[in-house]
Amino acid sequence: MTPDLSYPDVVQMAVPIFIALILAELLWIALSRRGGRYETRDAVTSLVMGAGNVASGIALGFLAWGFFMLLWQITPLDLGSAWWVVALCFVLDDLRYYWVHRFGHRIRWVWASHVNHHSSQHYNLTTALRQTWTGTFTFMMVVRAPLILLGFHPAMMLFCGGLNLIYQFWIHTEAIGRLPRWVEAVMNTPSHHRVHHGRNPRYLDANYAGVFIVWDRLFGTFVAERDDERVDYGLVRNLGTFNPLRVAFHEWAAIFRDVTRPGLSWRARLAYAFAPPGWSHDGSRDTSAAIKEKHLARHPEDRGTPGFS
Amino acid sequence: MPLGILIALVVGGIAGIALLTHVFGFSAARRFADADEARAAFLREFPETRIDRVTLSADGAAALLETEDGPALAWAMGADTSARLLSEVRVEETPRGLRFRLPDMTAPCIDIALAPEDRAAWHSASGGAR
Repeated sequence: MTPDLSYPDVVQMAVPIFIALILAELLWIALSRRGGRYETRDAVTSLVMGAGNVASGIALGFLAWGFFMLLWQITPLDLGSAWWVVALCFVLDDLRYYWVHRFGHRIRWVWASHVNHHSSQHYNLTTALRQTWTGTFTFMMVVRAPLILLGFHPAMMLFCGGLNLIYQFWIHTEAIGRLPRWVEAVMNTPSHHRVHHGRNPRYLDANYAGVFIVWDRLFGTFVAERDDERVDYGLVRNLGTFNPLRVAFHEWAAIFRDVTRPGLSWRARLAYAFAPPGWSHDGSRDTSAAIKEKHLARHPEDRGTPGFS
Repeated sequence: MPLGILIALVVGGIAGIALLTHVFGFSAARRFADADEARAAFLREFPETRIDRVTLSADGAAALLETEDGPALAWAMGADTSARLLSEVRVEETPRGLRFRLPDMTAPCIDIALAPEDRAAWHSASGGAR
């Protein structure tokens, strides 16, 4: 066993780089008048959300860490810390990220945590830092359990998760168009991730990848950015507030309100918590599937095209 | 990284970026040039809903809409827009205009600047209780 394995906190180490790159993007946009948009209150909200994410990690990280170390105690497997194990861990952790991210869009309980990341109508490097404060409460740490039980040390797994997060920072930009074809084929890129942040019916529930876009291609969720359909960023129903507390907790409050409605069956209450976002017991709201169907009713010519197949 | 340095970096970074975005002119709020822009902002959120009438505020920062589903607002959210149907709205008069309070955690309070002579009409058309 390698119980005392430790790695640097790469996300904290990257904070100065995050700030420097945001300043560079901001200057580029201000001076060239292209490559994206910034808005003061939107940017501040995103940055405060990022700071809150770091704070919640410091305050609540021990819960996930305790769970991981418990698993590490019971697993008989230990793959060690060779470089190829770290590389394999990075790839498998990215597969783990794909599924957690997909659950984050398809299960309202997890969406309640992730929704804030999509709540900006802008797409710039500050958007990357608009991160959740409530990730611990989604219990998505259980998706990491198989990796630990297979013998990847929890510290290595968190190190790889940190690298994954850092990779995803730079793809939150409109300043970079499309990269060489081989890069776009294998890696998650600004172009692919712009699609993921789109509220256009075509782009909903697409491109969940963290680092390798191959997972989307493999699991049928890939949609390419189109020159004839500009990405419209934000939520299906955009927020009317910049208040970070409301951004962080609004969907949790909405779940609570729905689940405690009088006169619902237990099945409906559970569905309000765990069905896809937009589910309602009386059909008064739209899931992403319903939004796509309604779009196709207005634009039948889009049927069968990417995002609608 | 020591916690003190991390906090200083984060606070300084947020303050610096906020200051720069403001200095570069990125704090300017969106204004609807005409009713069609307001209509488009509403349809962006409610693409299925028929709009019967649009009334722009004098400064172009908001629009009151009559729709098939009742009164609605579209308004500037920074450089962008948001929109809501005004079911269960409460309306209060403020020194600058009207405040629309909604039972909606994502848009609890919408302040619209209105000239005194426009307020009664907006209040009445919004269907809001005092």
